[in-house]
Amino acid sequence: MVALAGALVGAVFSGLSTTDFMAHLDRQVHAIHCSFLPGAAKEIAESGCRTVMMSPYSSFFREQLWGGVPVSLWALAVFAFLAYRAGLMLWRGQTSSGETKVLLVATVLPVLMSVVYGVLAVYKLDALCKVCVGIYAASAACFVGAFLAHRAQNPWSGARFGPALVEGVGLVAALTLAYVVLVPKPDPRTSMRGCGSLVRAEDAAGVMIPLAPHAGGAASIEVLDPLCPSCKAFDARLAASSLGERLDLNGVLFPLDSTCNWMVTESIHPGACAVSEAILCAAGVRGGTRNAAEAGAVLQWAFARQAELRELAARNEGALRERIEREFPGVKGCLGSAVVKSKLTKSLRWAVANAIPVLTPQLFVGGSRMCDEDTDLGLEYTLTRMLSPEAAQERARRRAAEPPRAPPPPPPTVAAELQPAVAAEPVAEVVAKPVTPEPSLAPAPPPAAAPSLVPAAADAAAVGAPSPAPADEKVRP
Amino acid sequence: MSDTSKRWILLVAALAIPLVLVVTSAASAQSRLGASKSATRDVATASVANDAYCTPELKAIVRRVAGACGLLEGGGGGRGCQPLQAKKVAALSGRDFNAMFKPLMNRAHIIQFDSTKAELDPAARALVEKAWSDQRGASFFFIVSRSSPDGDEQYNEALSRDRAKSVLDYLDQKFHDEDLKKEAGLLWLGEEFAQLSDEFCSWNRSRSGSCSRADINRSAFVAWIDCAI
Repeated sequence: MVALAGALVGAVFSGLSTTDFMAHLDRQVHAIHCSFLPGAAKEIAESGCRTVMMSPYSSFFREQLWGGVPVSLWALAVFAFLAYRAGLMLWRGQTSSGETKVLLVATVLPVLMSVVYGVLAVYKLDALCKVCVGIYAASAACFVGAFLAHRAQNPWSGARFGPALVEGVGLVAALTLAYVVLVPKPDPRTSMRGCGSLVRAEDAAGVMIPLAPHAGGAASIEVLDPLCPSCKAFDARLAASSLGERLDLNGVLFPLDSTCNWMVTESIHPGACAVSEAILCAAGVRGGTRNAAEAGAVLQWAFARQAELRELAARNEGALRERIEREFPGVKGCLGSAVVKSKLTKSLRWAVANAIPVLTPQLFVGGSRMCDEDTDLGLEYTLTRMLSPEAAQERARRRAAEPPRAPPPPPPTVAAELQPAVAAEPVAEVVAKPVTPEPSLAPAPPPAAAPSLVPAAADAAAVGAPSPAPADEKVRP
Repeated sequence: MSDTSKRWILLVAALAIPLVLVVTSAASAQSRLGASKSATRDVATASVANDAYCTPELKAIVRRVAGACGLLEGGGGGRGCQPLQAKKVAALSGRDFNAMFKPLMNRAHIIQFDSTKAELDPAARALVEKAWSDQRGASFFFIVSRSSPDGDEQYNEALSRDRAKSVLDYLDQKFHDEDLKKEAGLLWLGEEFAQLSDEFCSWNRSRSGSCSRADINRSAFVAWIDCAI
């Protein structure tokens, strides 16, 4: 009876976890269950359950299948099997020690998996997933129930493990097969190409921060805000993925804070400008060799206490700056200076020159932008394709086919009329040169056309578009 | 009911219930995915600033001035504006020309100089740095220098040119910014055109204390222009 109850509770928890996981196969963000009570408290905010679900440990075969096969699906199959076995014993009204022995052995598997996953959650992810805890408790209940049932059996009889194994494996295989066949499949070409591309990827102003330099890795750029929770989560996913080692990753700071970023009307992440300045100071604002370790230390420090820093800055940005200087004395004299402010503006203008969406995080691999919907569960699947030789060839082909950059527009009529007179004047003193002509003068796209939705080559024309809401994560339904 | 029947009933239930869950969840995700593909995304694109004061008329004038002064590519880059050209290009009276910059009150800085001098004092240097580092989304940095009407016109024209250059040279030395040549434009107006009135004394200046009409015109007016033209 205890084993049956445990199996049913475990099936409910793992079923909820599986439906939450599968809901995200539409590439959007959804509320997920995160409570010790089965079915209660669905929430969309960051939670331990979301952290665990988005981590690479929540599913297998992620590089082969978008999102992979969720481990909760296998848990569901195992609990269904245990419920079937325990239910059969109850329905018969009698059982043998052979059957209880099979049940007891079968319950060892979820107990072992619970131990492994509990350790991973605590030590690797630093997250408490309440639904997962429910599954661990249900696994323990099954084991205890099976143990008690087995101890009550007399006389002892032989166990028939073969048929039980066939039934159990059959259940897992049938569900896995159904899952693999039925889940939505992405267009492999879109995954390979990404959603748009950079038109001016070069770092002329020296604004990029080395995030994870890997010699020989694919040149990649992450656009991030140090106080954005989605960026922190993305950073953790990328660090946990083995594919991260194949990227030579640089960062471009794009704080969603109106203190320095004119593209947002309010401070979505208060204090992000100050922290970004600190990162640039730590990396070295004067160019030359960038100090990756120092910049990384400031970034990780900020990631670890995002909520606290945002709250502090919302109350008093000066206090945040003092806190940063106390923590990193090396940035004193640089933080808040005209030079670093100018550098941060250059970082934001890199985004303008490339007409990227006002959104963090974004990942560019070899100049191609990973689609927003692929940055969590689909990260490994998409990255595998973007790093493939075929994708590199495709990017090279596309670059070769691109038309040369648009020439600057002709000068205005009045100016043109004046040229002969002006040209007769001495020219040596004059320094004035053209202003960022391409972005500001490029035609604007239709309002709804965000770069992630338009063909790659069209990206350059996106500057000057009307500005709907900025975003720091994927679209929510 | 036989034992085998019971076994099969439970086994089928154990398979069917999770299977139904997988089938319905997959179908639902597939349908939402199809719907979202046809939906448009509403995310802003990174762009330069285009502030509320950038009326079409102002943009037209900025564009004319910028084009004639070599700020726009194709406009014969590497030139500058002499008083006469600036006046002609602006096609405005001096008063209207100055009025054009009034919305920039909180954005502009007035760098003051000693009489007959073009050197920046420490306060002027600090203000120039502050002004340049506050670019935000602006595309043009205007350095509009003047001189007071003391002395002859030619001398004052050269003096105002030296003042503009002095600001530019300091920016170059301080920031080593490649974009300086693409974004900063100089207009030296001497004493001939668009002299500032006393009311500009209340703007953000590099010197505190008394401010006469002559003082405010011994200056370089520096400002980022937040117009996408």
